[in-house]
Amino acid sequence: MSTSRIDELSESASAGRSFSLGELVRRRPETITFMLLVAICVIVAIINPAFLQPSTLIDIGRASVVMGLFALGVFIILAAGGIDVSFTAIAAFTMYSLTVLVLNHFPGMPMAVIMLVAIGGGALLGIINGLLVHHLNVPSLIVTIGTQYLFRGFLLSFIGTVWIMSLPPQMGAFGRMPLFQFESANGAIVTLPVYFLFLPLAAFVTWWILNRTLMGRAIFAVGGNANIASRLGYSLRTVHIFLFGYAGALAGLAGIIHVCANRQANPFDLVGTEINVIAAVVLGGARITGGTGTVLGTILGVLLIVVINSVLVMVGIPSTWQRLVVGSFILLAAAFFVTRQRKK
Amino acid sequence: MSAKDNSGNGPGPFLELRDIQKWFGGVHALRGISLTLELGQAYHLLGENGCGKSTVIKIMSGALEPSAGEIVLDGQTYSALTPIQSLAAGIETVYQDLSLLPNLTVAENVALNEQLVAANGRLARLFDRARLRQTAERALAAVGLPTDRFFLGTTVSDLPLAARQLVAIARAIATRAKLVIMDEPTTSLTRREVDNLVRVVERLRAENVAVLFVTHKLDECYRIGGHAVVFRDGQCVAQGPIEDYSKKQLAELMTGRSIGSERYRTGKPSDTVLFEASKLSAPGVKDISFNVRKGEILGITGLADSGRNELAMAITGVEPASSGAMTLDGRSLAIRRPADAIAHGIGYVPEDRLAEGLFLDKSILENEIALILSRLSNAFGVIDRNEGRTIAARLSEEMRLNTKNLDLPVGALSGGNQQRVLIGRWLSIAPKLLVLHGPTVGVDVGSKDTIYRAIQSLAEAGMGLVIVSDDLPELLQNADRILIMNSGRVVAEVDAGQSTEDQLYKAMLTSKLEAVQ
Repeated sequence: MSTSRIDELSESASAGRSFSLGELVRRRPETITFMLLVAICVIVAIINPAFLQPSTLIDIGRASVVMGLFALGVFIILAAGGIDVSFTAIAAFTMYSLTVLVLNHFPGMPMAVIMLVAIGGGALLGIINGLLVHHLNVPSLIVTIGTQYLFRGFLLSFIGTVWIMSLPPQMGAFGRMPLFQFESANGAIVTLPVYFLFLPLAAFVTWWILNRTLMGRAIFAVGGNANIASRLGYSLRTVHIFLFGYAGALAGLAGIIHVCANRQANPFDLVGTEINVIAAVVLGGARITGGTGTVLGTILGVLLIVVINSVLVMVGIPSTWQRLVVGSFILLAAAFFVTRQRKK
Repeated sequence: MSAKDNSGNGPGPFLELRDIQKWFGGVHALRGISLTLELGQAYHLLGENGCGKSTVIKIMSGALEPSAGEIVLDGQTYSALTPIQSLAAGIETVYQDLSLLPNLTVAENVALNEQLVAANGRLARLFDRARLRQTAERALAAVGLPTDRFFLGTTVSDLPLAARQLVAIARAIATRAKLVIMDEPTTSLTRREVDNLVRVVERLRAENVAVLFVTHKLDECYRIGGHAVVFRDGQCVAQGPIEDYSKKQLAELMTGRSIGSERYRTGKPSDTVLFEASKLSAPGVKDISFNVRKGEILGITGLADSGRNELAMAITGVEPASSGAMTLDGRSLAIRRPADAIAHGIGYVPEDRLAEGLFLDKSILENEIALILSRLSNAFGVIDRNEGRTIAARLSEEMRLNTKNLDLPVGALSGGNQQRVLIGRWLSIAPKLLVLHGPTVGVDVGSKDTIYRAIQSLAEAGMGLVIVSDDLPELLQNADRILIMNSGRVVAEVDAGQSTEDQLYKAMLTSKLEAVQ
């Protein structure tokens, strides 16, 4: 009898089981991100062995927190086929308003409550995004460009433009609170702050939502094809509200951590770094068209950008080159992913 | 209705539509449809494109709300269903576009909905991976797909079309469905896969599940048996056991005019050779030689893996030949890409008109003139819209489009009209040889008739035509000669006027056995 395509399918399936790097990269594009990251670390370590000191690694870890929280939010929206550029404005709005609020009205508010309010406030602003995206039925890029201006404009017009240099004491203390501390070879004290823990925690929660709950599967389903997902019974409204609310909550958290870590609240801060974050997510293997990507890839993408940012100086390349390098990496990685897709 | 059809399947019908009306803006798409579906029965919803079949299906599955009328589901009366209500009641739909999520795995596509429905559409729930796998394995095995972990974890966008169609069917039967609706489920399946599907349907009916087919393939309806429900212009014009109707009667009921099943081909090709291929090889094509004369219609068929598709793509430069020679009008051709073929006057109407051929959101006008933009533009690259409009109007006339509005987006047209736009586009460059790949896939009876007549008049005008198709009646009705391919070679050549469908099919299979031995 004739071999049908389905028989061939089972044959090719068994053939596909043999290991091939190309297939691995196609299925898990973040492999490329990982290899780039390792390559850069090895090259930098050869040129400047100082890179391998624990203090460098801790610096990288500390520098990844805010960007990593943002990136997780961007990733989850990208996974559902949307895009968000308002998260930095949400973070700036929440962090500055909250700092003003605590400073002027609730000086005794415990740190845990401050963080919960930041998360809740961010979520609320995010939900506005989600409602607008769903009910206006306008692409989320347009909606969030609008709300970015809106949130930031509201902040600067009505809340304030003054740079706050002295934070409420509990916030300053939280920014300095060490997870562990040691003295490095050159005698400086190296600290990994407690707030670092929020990144792995948020990464785990995001991974768990995406891979273990129906909501997570619904997010990818909507990212695959929103019309089909709704025909199959997924509520687009619920998904949109959750997505943007969750990303907003992460942005609020990132904002308050940013303030505590820098020990100042600058209302002009953060907005303008969106592209850097989106770049990290895309370098992590998530397709800009939605429906793909992993939390691990996102974190690797963030590490890659942070490492590039912080190590160029160590090998004697001017920091102004950072954009050049990131830009070329994005193009290289994109070209690589695309040719892999075609070869299939 | 005959007595055996109502033979005791529970107290009442499973689903009843009562006087359903549907307006889309000013268009009256359904004009009072009443329909009763009983468990354990098979129904065939027949009708031309645009007759309201898809609308009725969408109303049953909750994707659309009727404008008036009521739906009685399991004894409960509704004015409209939501997708979750419909799914929870056991109505599963295999849509024509398959409605698979391309970025999710096979297992997720097949079995995730079971859990969504169990959660009543609420998303704040854990999902059960073990149950996902069990359900997927059971459903995939039922439609004859592999059930190993590797296949379960394959992303659907990596699967060939036939496998996707089966995955969509597996999803429909994964849950305890009571009514499975299949909208053109067999368009990309081979005969063997269709046989398998027929067995799946028989088993579903034995398990007291109702099955509603929407199809243009009448032969398959007779094989499956059951009730015919014929729609025309948003109304139900006939209902009854399908064996009570002949093919001809059904076609007439659908179109409202008489449609013959006789040969369309009446002309004779000239003796001048137009196109000649010698010792053509390409991936999947081995050492093929044949010719096409002026005014001749050559059919090429074979099983899906026979190399017929690859041959079409080699002639037209989509997947260029690796060796061999081709001549057109005695001049030798070097075809490395589609632009070469177009420059030589060889046109190609691909099988997948949606993915490969048409710009769906662009107008009929823009689609028709897509190949002649450089001819229409002046020295500054500005396109002469009026000239384009004149040409597009002439092409639409020639292809008998059912609309005069050239600014309508092609996506709004029925499958048959889309296909006519695509063929019309090729006529704009006045090709000498036109290769048509599955020209009537997913096209209704009335449109087929128009397309066949257009093909014949092209041949009359002296064009050479190659029809690559697995629709055997289509080839027998239209072609002069038919080449039968197998394992990349031409294994038989028959005179279309002297052959029958059975002979062709036997030739396709027997030659396979010979090729193996």
